[in-house]
Amino acid sequence: MRRAALLAAALGLLAGAARAQTPANLVGRGVRSYQNLEYDSAAAVLTRALSWPPSALADSDRVRGLVYLGASDLYRDRRDSAAAAFARVLRLDPRYHIDQLVFPPEITGLFQQVRLVTRAVAVVVPPSVELRGAGDALPIALYATTFHPVDVAVLKPDGSNLRTLYQGGVGDSLVVHWDGRAADGSPPDSGGYVLQVASRGADGRVVRTVALPLDVARVRRDTLPWPAPVADSLLLPEQAPGRSGMRALGAGFATVLAIAVLPSLVAGSASGSANRFIVAGGIGIAAILGFRGERRPQPIAANIAANRALQDAWQRQADSVHAVNVARTREVRLRIRTGAPQVTEGS
Amino acid sequence: MRRPGAALLLLALAARPAAAQLPRYLGVDVGLASASFQSASPYGGEKLSGFAGVGHWRIVLRPVSIDVAYGQGRLSADTGSAVPRSLVDGSIFATYRPLPWLALKTGPHVRAYAAAGGTERWMLWEGRAHADAPLLDGEWQAYGELWVSLASSVNVTPGAGGARGAEVGLTLKLPRSPGWARLAYAVDQMRLRYDARTESLQSVALTLGFGGR
Repeated sequence: MRRAALLAAALGLLAGAARAQTPANLVGRGVRSYQNLEYDSAAAVLTRALSWPPSALADSDRVRGLVYLGASDLYRDRRDSAAAAFARVLRLDPRYHIDQLVFPPEITGLFQQVRLVTRAVAVVVPPSVELRGAGDALPIALYATTFHPVDVAVLKPDGSNLRTLYQGGVGDSLVVHWDGRAADGSPPDSGGYVLQVASRGADGRVVRTVALPLDVARVRRDTLPWPAPVADSLLLPEQAPGRSGMRALGAGFATVLAIAVLPSLVAGSASGSANRFIVAGGIGIAAILGFRGERRPQPIAANIAANRALQDAWQRQADSVHAVNVARTREVRLRIRTGAPQVTEGS
Repeated sequence: MRRPGAALLLLALAARPAAAQLPRYLGVDVGLASASFQSASPYGGEKLSGFAGVGHWRIVLRPVSIDVAYGQGRLSADTGSAVPRSLVDGSIFATYRPLPWLALKTGPHVRAYAAAGGTERWMLWEGRAHADAPLLDGEWQAYGELWVSLASSVNVTPGAGGARGAEVGLTLKLPRSPGWARLAYAVDQMRLRYDARTESLQSVALTLGFGGR
């Protein structure tokens, strides 16, 4: 029982020691040593903390550790090391400003001197943007450590240039816009692109490059559904069944008969003109054709007109939907998602 | 000052019925007719035949329409030694249509036979009944017309004894046009008083017409 208690105590001490050895804790210890004016101890502890892999230490802790390391080194008369630490701070976070209430003027002065010669840019873009039409653009905010020339471009997946957005100097900050178009004005295909911001040195060579992955996707608007066709139940019958045809036949042959007997009925003893049978023949032929015509299904003009009106209304609706859908199909929207920036020092 | 105002008022009142009488429909037919004339009397008869130009003009003023017809031609003897003569026939009828297929007409009808020896003139006041019978889709139509004289006169002794007649025909409306063709057979008989003589005229006419609203 006593052995077990001793073992547990020993394990607890080991765990506490392990916790004390995390990089973040080491940064805290280094800062406390600096505040206790133990600069050598502070520098040693902070150097140990910063030697851990980048993933083991948050950027904010890393920046804090570097600032205190630089300050400790300056008080240890190691000015170059201090400047190097401050330069690393600015490369990590070009927007960093040293706190003048915490650090004395000699520290802040050196930090400002280093800022003047360190060329770096922080690139800030929204994580996701949808470009819906003319006037929409991806805003790219650049924050520079000091005035220097930069090249801002969007690169294709193969690394070639899609569009150069800006070439020129940037002082404190600058916002560049990308309208989602290539150099020729056409929208790019969906795919992975890279937003590259290159800082140039005094000799014109690229000293630092920030690359942000851009996931560009073409988004098509949904087209309107096609209007439902006119239901058969709404359409009226366009033909009526044919009639017997006897009306035309009867009327025709009654007329022919009248022509045959009219001379004797009207003119009595006068002989009938033979020419009248030309008229009788014409009427007889017309009666036979009328008989055949009446037996055919008869079109119902009112129903045909009503059905035509329904079809025309449907056609107008379909034309309208077609026009909207054509416009939507031609309209190209881009959805741009940005990834984490990757920094490359040197050309 | 009051007179011009009254005159304007009268003009306005007169203009309203005039506007209401504007024609709704106007139609014209022209064509050629083959005519055959026969007369019979206790002392013999004569037969003549020939051709005549015919024309028919109609104006529709609801609810009545006016029909004007005119024909003129030359008749020559078919047999014997009948004297050739000119035929002139004209009429003007007021037409009322009580039913879509039935029209009733009345009006004066004048006919003259002009020969070298003199001119025989008939003056009739007629009543006519006209019926239409569609044969095919309303485009082809047969019609028949019967008439009697309500009053008659002639410048031949012993005077007019009456007249009657009939007409049967076929109207073909030309497709997709305001025109039509008409083939008609007409027969009539005019009698002198005491049956001193009867005169009958038969004709077959082919006319072309057009009209519009």
